[in-house]
Amino acid sequence: MRQGEIAGIVAEVESPGRDTIQYNITRFVQILRHLGVRVSLAETVDAVTALSRIDLLDKNQVRGALRGCLAKSRKEAGIFDQAFNLFFTTPEKKSERRRLHREALAERERSISRAEQDLMEVVEEWQKDLPERIAFTDQQLETFSLLPESEKERMKEILERMRANPVNNPGDLINRVLQSSLNYWRYYMLKNASEKGGPGPELEASFTGDDDLDEVIRGVAAQFYHHPGDRILYRDMETLDDADIPRMTSLINHLSSQLALGISRRYRRSTRAAAVDIRRTVRRNIKYGGVPIDLRYRARRRKKPKFLLICDVSASMARYARFVLQFIYGLNSALGGVESFIFSENLERATDYFSRNRTFSRIMTEMINESREWGKSTNLHASLETFLRLYGSTLSPETVLFIVSDARTIAPEAAAGLLREIRLKCGDVIWLNTLPRRDWENKAPVGAFSGIVEMYECNTLSQLERALRRYVLKKI
Amino acid sequence: MELSLNHLKRSMEREGYVSEDDLAVTVFLALTLKKPLLVEGAPGVGKTEIAKVLGRVFRTEVIRLQCYEGLDENKALYEWNYQRQLLKIQILKDQCSQKDIEKDLFDEEYLLERPLLKAIRSSKRVVLLIDEVDKVDEPFEAFLFELLSDFQVSIPELGTLTAREIPIVVLTSNGDRELSDGLKRRCVYLYIDYPDIEKEAKILQMKVPEAGERLNREIAAAVGYIRANLDLRKQPSIAESLDWARALVALHADALTADNMARTVNLLLKNRDDRMQVLDGRVLQDILRHASGAGAEEGGRPACRCRNHGH
Repeated sequence: MRQGEIAGIVAEVESPGRDTIQYNITRFVQILRHLGVRVSLAETVDAVTALSRIDLLDKNQVRGALRGCLAKSRKEAGIFDQAFNLFFTTPEKKSERRRLHREALAERERSISRAEQDLMEVVEEWQKDLPERIAFTDQQLETFSLLPESEKERMKEILERMRANPVNNPGDLINRVLQSSLNYWRYYMLKNASEKGGPGPELEASFTGDDDLDEVIRGVAAQFYHHPGDRILYRDMETLDDADIPRMTSLINHLSSQLALGISRRYRRSTRAAAVDIRRTVRRNIKYGGVPIDLRYRARRRKKPKFLLICDVSASMARYARFVLQFIYGLNSALGGVESFIFSENLERATDYFSRNRTFSRIMTEMINESREWGKSTNLHASLETFLRLYGSTLSPETVLFIVSDARTIAPEAAAGLLREIRLKCGDVIWLNTLPRRDWENKAPVGAFSGIVEMYECNTLSQLERALRRYVLKKI
Repeated sequence: MELSLNHLKRSMEREGYVSEDDLAVTVFLALTLKKPLLVEGAPGVGKTEIAKVLGRVFRTEVIRLQCYEGLDENKALYEWNYQRQLLKIQILKDQCSQKDIEKDLFDEEYLLERPLLKAIRSSKRVVLLIDEVDKVDEPFEAFLFELLSDFQVSIPELGTLTAREIPIVVLTSNGDRELSDGLKRRCVYLYIDYPDIEKEAKILQMKVPEAGERLNREIAAAVGYIRANLDLRKQPSIAESLDWARALVALHADALTADNMARTVNLLLKNRDDRMQVLDGRVLQDILRHASGAGAEEGGRPACRCRNHGH
């Protein structure tokens, strides 16, 4: 009976003109791939085969079978579950979701067009003085539409009053005032929303161009980091507020102790045969008349990497520096021997702060009070010069140097020259850049440094942990 | 044995492994598709136990390869018995030609089987448990997934040896290191999370029935609360919950109290800071309130059923 039902469903789904199981699984796999889950062709075939071995009428079994074949880590399993729930649903729910999405889009367009109309009414008169018409971006218009009515009126009033001011080129002035005011409001509203636990970080995803699939991708990307720990792990560290610090501290402690465990573990290459220790073998086998029955092997000497950190604590970096230093504090407590320096206008050695065996908050208070560099402007060139002069002799091929900075410095070319010199003296230099990767192209100094050393985006705790894990473990 | 999902699930439960649908489906697929099962999860959630239970379900031997840093092919696959070969050379050096000695020396009798080769050459379908695979280095991992995809191995002196019966392979990982895509692709994947209160109470009842349903429920609720609400250095595992339950039974406890928690919590939490956090006055009260609420749902059935104290 059960088998008959399954056969019926398969026949119906596979009948001409209808979607086949294979077709649907392929579409689902496409969604997963666009959400960053790597699914191979072999795994897709496994998934389809797996479905033939279970009860297709039982949703739990279908989910379990597909998850076992398509998702291969905890994070992927999480993405899979959300995508599965959104994709394998009833046509009614799908069309309801589509209707809501269409309505939201239409409402957004209506409010943008209303905002444009409102703003244009006020600025119309100045348009004629300007060589080009004032154009607002969709983001600015959306910001205006979201403003409370009283704020909208206030903004219009200010513009009206400016009409009476006879200044040169009033159109240009109005344009600039309006645009910067809207940009400020957008920033303010985003910050407010983030403090109230509003839209958090989104999962990186790309769209397919197919509305049905994109709808699922959009839904998963928006909802994925809903867990408080995930929100902190994947959020820009600069936007974290004081209330997040206890949770952040515990996450950092956990991640740094995990990483320290990996570093202290011995990874030995297994493909290389161990060398026989002739002296010990001969001594050991004298009792067998010199016949080498009991072989002794040379103990492999393990080259421990030496970690060195140079962390930017200038005004633009102060908030990131707090979390990065905390991570290093965690590593240092577990491993010991991490040489740390801080810099802004010049460089200071910070290792002693960490070796005083105190709590992290005490260390931070001391560092901020005693340091002459905290919160100043950045001069990487002067800092690297001091580093080379005073501590250059500590560099060796075993040294892995981490630089944490947003690369906003004066004299970047001169600094790049010194960085090149440092690069030649140590095993590796890894630059953890807190500036989002999309901004790298517009910032000239980034280009000057990224050609010399490996540079990685690092403005979330997750990125920091991943970069350290990947490059620290590689060196062992 | 004809294998069905329900039968597998029932058999696993009979052997003391509580499995929900998702877990049973994944194990079932690994068995029917004849693919290795890769199990990930925090320490102590029952990853290794799956292999042992499968061994009992199929009444077959469990061959275990415990992975550790520095593990190489010699210790995992095979090794020539060098000492024995050397002795043979010494004995035969004046009696045989060099060619004959060499031919003899690489005979199967000088082959030391290590777990992987033993599993491949076994005449019966065995369970091969490759435990904590995340501890080996990448070259060994690459060697491993080649072996697992074809279930055959080449020994230069003997030729290619193919598995007589494809073993049931269970790999476990604590997630210390990201495993390669190649290995993951060849496996059916299962992530085991800490159990919810219902499942943990069921496990406790199955493994420590002498504690009684009420106490077991209280323990499960307390452990669930600790995992969900406290930031501990190490979360308590299922194995530790079981030890805690046994300790409470040994002390003839019939319910969780501040006193018996203080005396036994070292079996649940192995870190001093974690213990201090749990025993903090307000936290402890919250845990106990939560636990007693869950225990009361059971309707006050008799707790301790041990023979040592008079309930």
